[in-house]
Amino acid sequence: MSNNKKYWKGVEELKETPSFQESKNKEFSELLPTEEFLGDSNLLENSQTTRRDFLKYLGFGVTAASLAACETPVNKVIPYVVKTDKTNPGVANYFATTYTDGNDYCDILVKTREGRPIKIEGNKLSPLTKGAVNARVNSSVLSLYDSNRFKSPMIDGAEVSWSSFDSSVKKELTAILSKGGKVRLLTNSITSPSTLRLISEFVEANPEADINHVSYDAVSYSGMLEANLESFGKAALPSYNIAKAKSIVSIGADFMSSFPSSIELTNQYAQGRKPENGWMSKHFQFESSLSLTGSNADVRVPIKLSQHGSVVANLYNYIAAKLGASKISAPETSVSEKIAAAGDHLIANKGASIVLSGSNNKAVQVLVNGINDMLGNYGSTLDIVNHSNERKGVDSEVVALVKEMKSGSIDALMMMGVNPTLTMPSSVGFNEALAKVKMTMSFAARPNETTANTKYIAATPNYLESWGDTNPKVGYYGLVQPSINPLFDTKQFEDCMLSWMGKNESFYDYVRGTWEAATYPTQTESLIFEDFWNSKLHDGFYMMESAASAPIAFAGNTSAAASAIAKITPTSGEFELEFYEKVGIGNGNQSSNPWLQELPDPISKITWDNYVAMNPADAREKEFATNYGEQENAHTVNLTVNGVTFENIPVVAQPGQAKGTLGVALGYGQAIGKSNEIIGFNAYPAMGMANGTISKFSVEVSMEATGNRDHQIATTQTHQTVMGRTSVVRETDLSTFSTGDINKFNPPHMIATHDGPKSVNEVDLWAEHPVKDVGHHWGMSIDLNSCIGCGSCVTSCNSENNVPVVGKDEVRRSREMHWMRIDRYFSSNAQDVEERNYTEMESPEENPQVVHQPMMCQHCNHAPCETVCPVAATTHSNEGLNQMTYNRCIGTRYCANNCPYKVRRFNWFSYQNLDMFADLNPSQDDLGRMVLNPDVTVRARGVMEKCSLCVQRIQTGKLDAKKEGRMVIDGEIETACSSACPTNAITFGDLNDTNSLVRKASESNRSYRVIEEVGTQPNIYYQVKVRNT
Amino acid sequence: MKLLLFSKSKVYFKALFLFVFLISLPSTKVVAQEDGEKLFKSYCASCHSPGANQLVGPGLAGVYDKYEREWLYSWIKNSQALIASGDAEAVAVYEQYNKVLMPNQPVNNEQIDAILDYIKVYNESAPEPASTAVVDAGGEEAEEASDSSVFIILGLIVLFLIIISILRGVSHSMQTVKAEQDGGESPEEVSMPQALVNWINSNKTIVALISIVIVASIAKLGWDSAVDIGIYTGYEPEQPIKFSHKLHAGTNGIDCNYCHSSASYSKSAGIPSPNLCMNCHTYIQEGPEYGKEEIAKIYAALDFDPVTKTYGPNQKPIKWVKVHNLPDHVYFNHSQHVTVGKIACQKCHGPVEEYTVGKQHASLTMGWCINCHRETKVQMQDNGYYDEIHKRLPEDLKAQYLEDGTITVSELGGIECAKCHY
Repeated sequence: MSNNKKYWKGVEELKETPSFQESKNKEFSELLPTEEFLGDSNLLENSQTTRRDFLKYLGFGVTAASLAACETPVNKVIPYVVKTDKTNPGVANYFATTYTDGNDYCDILVKTREGRPIKIEGNKLSPLTKGAVNARVNSSVLSLYDSNRFKSPMIDGAEVSWSSFDSSVKKELTAILSKGGKVRLLTNSITSPSTLRLISEFVEANPEADINHVSYDAVSYSGMLEANLESFGKAALPSYNIAKAKSIVSIGADFMSSFPSSIELTNQYAQGRKPENGWMSKHFQFESSLSLTGSNADVRVPIKLSQHGSVVANLYNYIAAKLGASKISAPETSVSEKIAAAGDHLIANKGASIVLSGSNNKAVQVLVNGINDMLGNYGSTLDIVNHSNERKGVDSEVVALVKEMKSGSIDALMMMGVNPTLTMPSSVGFNEALAKVKMTMSFAARPNETTANTKYIAATPNYLESWGDTNPKVGYYGLVQPSINPLFDTKQFEDCMLSWMGKNESFYDYVRGTWEAATYPTQTESLIFEDFWNSKLHDGFYMMESAASAPIAFAGNTSAAASAIAKITPTSGEFELEFYEKVGIGNGNQSSNPWLQELPDPISKITWDNYVAMNPADAREKEFATNYGEQENAHTVNLTVNGVTFENIPVVAQPGQAKGTLGVALGYGQAIGKSNEIIGFNAYPAMGMANGTISKFSVEVSMEATGNRDHQIATTQTHQTVMGRTSVVRETDLSTFSTGDINKFNPPHMIATHDGPKSVNEVDLWAEHPVKDVGHHWGMSIDLNSCIGCGSCVTSCNSENNVPVVGKDEVRRSREMHWMRIDRYFSSNAQDVEERNYTEMESPEENPQVVHQPMMCQHCNHAPCETVCPVAATTHSNEGLNQMTYNRCIGTRYCANNCPYKVRRFNWFSYQNLDMFADLNPSQDDLGRMVLNPDVTVRARGVMEKCSLCVQRIQTGKLDAKKEGRMVIDGEIETACSSACPTNAITFGDLNDTNSLVRKASESNRSYRVIEEVGTQPNIYYQVKVRNT
Repeated sequence: MKLLLFSKSKVYFKALFLFVFLISLPSTKVVAQEDGEKLFKSYCASCHSPGANQLVGPGLAGVYDKYEREWLYSWIKNSQALIASGDAEAVAVYEQYNKVLMPNQPVNNEQIDAILDYIKVYNESAPEPASTAVVDAGGEEAEEASDSSVFIILGLIVLFLIIISILRGVSHSMQTVKAEQDGGESPEEVSMPQALVNWINSNKTIVALISIVIVASIAKLGWDSAVDIGIYTGYEPEQPIKFSHKLHAGTNGIDCNYCHSSASYSKSAGIPSPNLCMNCHTYIQEGPEYGKEEIAKIYAALDFDPVTKTYGPNQKPIKWVKVHNLPDHVYFNHSQHVTVGKIACQKCHGPVEEYTVGKQHASLTMGWCINCHRETKVQMQDNGYYDEIHKRLPEDLKAQYLEDGTITVSELGGIECAKCHY
């Protein structure tokens, strides 16, 4: 039975190290240096403050404080001069718009209060993303209020006005254009039909000049574009429908986080993971670094990076053999058993399966296309006809551009949405080439590495201040509308181009023009354009009726691909290195966002850092530390990859990292905060080129230990241990679940009474709390089967509830303030646990199974915290909420000590005004404060806080219902976490409503409550995780 | 008994005086004037001022003397017909005011007379804000009373001291005289403080009791003032515009929700933006008390030119002083109380329609909130929300809650912490 598994949160817990043993019994890991301080007689004797002085200061302080308190505060209240119809103080407005940065695409709603955006929500109307959001999109609202943003355009580092900027640019540009000079536009993948129309008009308007637009993706899928060009004649990514896929095989594709369209894919994936539907997809993952996607796989196979090609080739052959197609030559592989298992499952689900690869190697992608073609997946789970437009960067074009620049022939280079100085491989030599371009210009919202080297910097607005449109997929259009006037003197790229082209219209008019000409005629719903425009602006998107078009036959050259794959050589050295993207930071375009930096990585639970990830067995062999904490640092190494050396970078033992491989996260090494502190190191320059594309791995790796163990690691990994209780996580496999015998996969906790055994919920020392059937009874259900651990809920909670950012040092002391955390448990083999086979238990750390469990206040009906509060600051409501009253709390922390779930967070500092946090806490400056939710108190120092189940949203929802004289509709009130969840794992509602989804979930046979046996009677239910093994 | 008789007779006297006063008034004229004012406000005020200033149409001061009454009757009832008939005066007026037609008014001759009488009275008597003066006088009286009581006490103390010193002098000279008569030595004159010390020494119990009383009173005073820290009942700050709720909500009877419309759907009741003021003040350019001075401040905020009736670009907001300040850790929602609870504004804000300056009426302490939540009955009628909540209740609880016949806010959880603190 699966429940016998041992769960461990880190190597420390598994190995029961002495320091872990010592620290696990403590609620807070800090060491108070009282002994040290009082024992230091020298310090006491040399002190300048006498007892009398102390009393004087004390007396003065008390008097001053009481006098200050007597003063009547005079507050001003300033109404609008001319109030608009729909802006009402105290009432939130929502605007539909689109988040698109060339990396993520998401249809969103922006919540504004008093005219300022404060929260991003998914657009539930959207047929594409279906209301899903990820951590990066959630946090993007904070980037709007970054005080480091450009406040006006700049020439040669000096701030200038737009009129002088425009005239200088126009003068220089006209000179270049009229003499037929070479002008290049280097942008991220643009899907906007209006922007693309504008660029082509710019090209057409200057026929004598040589103008070219080059797309560049920092993390490129160039290999896939080229493979699809060869296979189907289209340099585009297919659009996916993995909701239909019963068999999913991914070879290094992290489709839940970094892969193109990941938000859409995540939502689709979860639809196929509901065992109640009678079927459940089976997910195989072959990969090197343990990715978010790999952690959710049913079968995960750790392989070396150089083997990705051979796995694909062997899978191709296996399927070809079974289906009677011709085979190709394939290298030997060590994981043929697993490949056969995956192949069999794929064939069994022919036409309802999918194979994905994250490789940027064209040959690998051609074979993947071949496999999907053999399985008949095109037209069902994959669609290349109605393809995606989300990635357009072709590496060879970028390299060719840099070559041109080097030769000195480029007259003008305009860059928009890219930061090539940071992200280009050093071997491409972009920086040297940039110096040879006569006129350089960056369109950027905040200073970055590239803007430091460009003459002209056009300050651009945030996407929440801009107009625009998108076309992420054939036949699907999104609109971008501003939800606030530009905060600074900024102008978007398109408006600049329009004025330089001498057009007397704004980009808003231009977008309308595009829509009137291109999309409006394709519909029959609206009779006038104004009507169409307003309705689409309201919805945020427009979907064309797609005409059924003929499928495109696969025309890939598989044998050429096979021979290319055979040339991929494994490393001659000890390690291969993978460049990966972290869930929070992604490709690094938002790395200056403190919410994302503080979001623990779903796998390593490390914040504010990147590092070299290594298998724990390899780490022990190299004598590197494998456990980290406040007192325990990581070892550092000097790492040389493709000739680029990183000095003194930390090594972290990461269970699940394939042996003989290393992992390094991209997107770090950028400045953050007022003092421009650099977080981590920039790994991009070490990426190399292979077959004309930027390779996501390297075999030329050498590592040299420095012998120093001096790098501090801020991890939340071993905080809040479960103390060996196995009733926290429950999981089973599909076959056990299918028997329907609840005693096998979700046995109730029984207790012996004189009347015989009874369920713990029937035996009670307390009087029943009167919440059942009385008014509302708010509750939540979290499906561990749908939860993928992506952290979207955590960032959404941060933004909704004004959770402060505390920074690396405080996280290291376990003082992170997140109300919601995602506990990540590794699990070992059940048999080894039963047999107490500790040596064997080491092997799962090579490839452990992972469970992600969102954990926040459980709102116990018999809450242990409530009984110990000496001032009744935490009490129970008759709606089932565990209420926390900050103004009553005196900070004894008894509640936190008595909480079995360890979800209460204590304000050690006043994060809003202490200088120590000025650099990282956004609410420290006037601009950052604008993101605060006015309905939630900003907590003061010395008080306890915790999840309130978004009581402000409950109150608003109830009030709306009362005003309309009707009952609250199920699903109308959503907490920040449930609304942000891309997989709908979190359901919130009224347990007293017998028809509510949450009531039904709480009564399902997978439903259980965490540590139920202690009798806390939580209002948060979890659903047993079911693996399809 | 005597006292009672006296006070009764006072009441009779008052009533008599009032009666005589009332019958001596020319009552018919009062009625006409009231009618005229009402009629003027409903038919004329949107275009005409009763004074001399021009709004849309000309100011009406002197109109009753300038034209024949008959001519005025026909002009007011149907000016277009009069112009069409070629009447010289009518055409002249039409030409003079840019050929803006005056709409026909559905009034009879008596009503026109009443209106003209009102205009006449308005112009002859200086604009007299009688009612405001009464309230102001009341306020001043109260203040004077408290001031004078201090003076009375001080005066009494001084008087007391003078009497003591006179008595001492008398006593001393009497003792001297007595001593002289007795032939003894005249007693040594002691200074006043010395005498006090001597008295204290001989009456220690009384002194102790007095000290205890004094210390206790000071402690009580200190305690009371400490309890009042942070409570600003009666807070009445000076505002940038001398806006009178009494005039707008009281005299003119404008509904609170007209200006504070968001109270019915939002958290905050909202301060009306100047563009809302302009719904009326485009035409009403002069107030009864401060004339044009205060209304000009609205125009300044909007950069509005009252003559050309155009708006300029230099708009700047009005910075009002907030009267009702709740602590940041309290969430209060107006719409819950106004729309759902159907609570009258006056319940918390007091008789605002009588205030000339915005004033904090209630203490706004937590105890004050909680008391109301304990006592107030939930407005459950015709609200589907409460119907459903009530339907869910098990029978025993229904009986328990309805024991006293009502369901109060606190019985539905209205005094729980997270109803206001989150």
